[in-house]
Amino acid sequence: MEDHRGAPAIEARELSRSFKGGIEAVRAVDLSVDEGEIFGFLGPNGAGKSTAVRMFCTLLPPSSGRASVAGHDVMDEGDAVRRDIGVALQEIGLDPVQTGRELLELQCGLYGITGSAGRDRAAELLELVGLTEAADRRTKTYSGGMKRRLDLASALVHRPRVLFLDEPTTGLDPASRLTVWDEVRSINADGTTIFLTTQYLEEADELCERLAIIDHGELVAQGTPEDLKAAIGKDVVTVQLRGADPERTRDVIGELPGLDRVLGEENELALFVEDGATSIAEIVRRLDAASVEVGAISVSRPSLDDVFLEATGRRLEGAEQAPEHADEAAEEDEAAARAVAP
Amino acid sequence: MTEVLLLGRRSIREVLRYPEATIPTLFIPLFFLAVNIGQVQKTFPADSTPFLHGQSYVAFQMPVSLMFAVATATTGLALVTEIDSGYFDKLLVAPIRRTSLIVGRLAADLVRGLAASIVVLLVGIIIFGMHVEAGPAGAVLVVLLAACFGVAYAGFGILVALHTRNVQATNTSFLLFFPLLFLTPNFVPFDRLSPLMETLARINPVSYVIVGIRSLIIDGWVIDKILVCVGVIVVMGVVLIGLSLRAIKTYDR
Repeated sequence: MEDHRGAPAIEARELSRSFKGGIEAVRAVDLSVDEGEIFGFLGPNGAGKSTAVRMFCTLLPPSSGRASVAGHDVMDEGDAVRRDIGVALQEIGLDPVQTGRELLELQCGLYGITGSAGRDRAAELLELVGLTEAADRRTKTYSGGMKRRLDLASALVHRPRVLFLDEPTTGLDPASRLTVWDEVRSINADGTTIFLTTQYLEEADELCERLAIIDHGELVAQGTPEDLKAAIGKDVVTVQLRGADPERTRDVIGELPGLDRVLGEENELALFVEDGATSIAEIVRRLDAASVEVGAISVSRPSLDDVFLEATGRRLEGAEQAPEHADEAAEEDEAAARAVAP
Repeated sequence: MTEVLLLGRRSIREVLRYPEATIPTLFIPLFFLAVNIGQVQKTFPADSTPFLHGQSYVAFQMPVSLMFAVATATTGLALVTEIDSGYFDKLLVAPIRRTSLIVGRLAADLVRGLAASIVVLLVGIIIFGMHVEAGPAGAVLVVLLAACFGVAYAGFGILVALHTRNVQATNTSFLLFFPLLFLTPNFVPFDRLSPLMETLARINPVSYVIVGIRSLIIDGWVIDKILVCVGVIVVMGVVLIGLSLRAIKTYDR
């Protein structure tokens, strides 16, 4: 076997994909993921995350550009890519007719792990994801969290070098989300490179060593969460407008000492400043003097949401949505991506 | 080969665990057998109808019931459901030949087709008192031909499933079955049909499958009819399954 050590685990150059009707789902994405990394793809629903993952997994050919995974080109060496990757797609792909154990044993068999080796590996993975008791029930009786965990286990049967997780926690309750995070960390600790997509800022922040922010199919920022946050300044003062005119409010606040830039959204202004505490007092004074009434004014350290705001001009939609709604929207997105495939 | 066995076993498991999907496909052929016989048996009495060769009309209807039993949209539906659920993607990501996903499903069709033909044939023999003129070996061939026709026909449902990826479209694809099965000498021989019907029936390849199977039941071993029947099934299978295999190889590629 060829040795690809030292090569990036995932590499994309000008990777693009458009669908019928001219929808450009992914536009000229360049990225490189090192072996052993947890790399995050952060973006709202419909940003192109799933389409990118499908291209890396050889499920969808790129319209243009190139990508390689585990040192193999996704177009020319699809078989080699498939041997080296594990995949848990956003839409949980489980056969409702099989039991959890049967599903994993079949999955083992498809990767050439047959007989008692397959049975042992299936049992081991069931234990790992805490499904030993439910192993002999058909998967249609499983809860959302159980399905997600079984799907994750089925992506691991052959100890893949690179694991793709497309929104692994979308639609999960907070406790299940933490369980998945722990599992992701422990899989990564064994040396597996992990590429995960998420629409949750906290998940990207907690889990990923490096991340790329994707919006409308384009990468708008890339780096470690710390670097990305550090790049936009020290403090963020958020002014809730609550009906106040954005232009006027901005004018009244005017130039502040240490003000880097102001970003406006529908209902709030975000001011990136050197020193939040001094600025907040000055802002209150000026608004008061001009009799501009606003809502709450708060100061915080920059978050990934501020990074997103800075890169795209708006807050990350869906991050504050109730999980079930986020899930529905995400499913529609995924279904649309598959429906328009040629 | 292992992957075909594994996938075939899984498809068969699916058949066994969803009896509600299989039982109606058995109900329809048996229902039509009973109803058709009830309606026309007096019109075609065994002792005075030359084309029955002394057998009851059940023997004449049996091949049609066998076609009903084996030609189903079950496989296409199972496949499109799998595409819809996302499990199909999981299988496509595995390092296996894509064609084994189809061959594994067809293996299950063969098993289901054999079982269904045996049931229908036994009902004809035990309940309606018909017999197979060509003897036990002939009866085995009847079952095999019917099951193989079912496998070839399944290729059509698979094609629709892969091309449309739509459950409703795949479900309605069974409508094609009506012209294929009824523009045939299903009630009377070719020469008793109206000229237009006869022309259509002679163009329809399924006619020759029915005629071949019927010859084993009514006439015994009529080699040319059997060979034509086998030929039609092989050509249908090569075309429909060949197109299905090509469709899965180029699926999203």
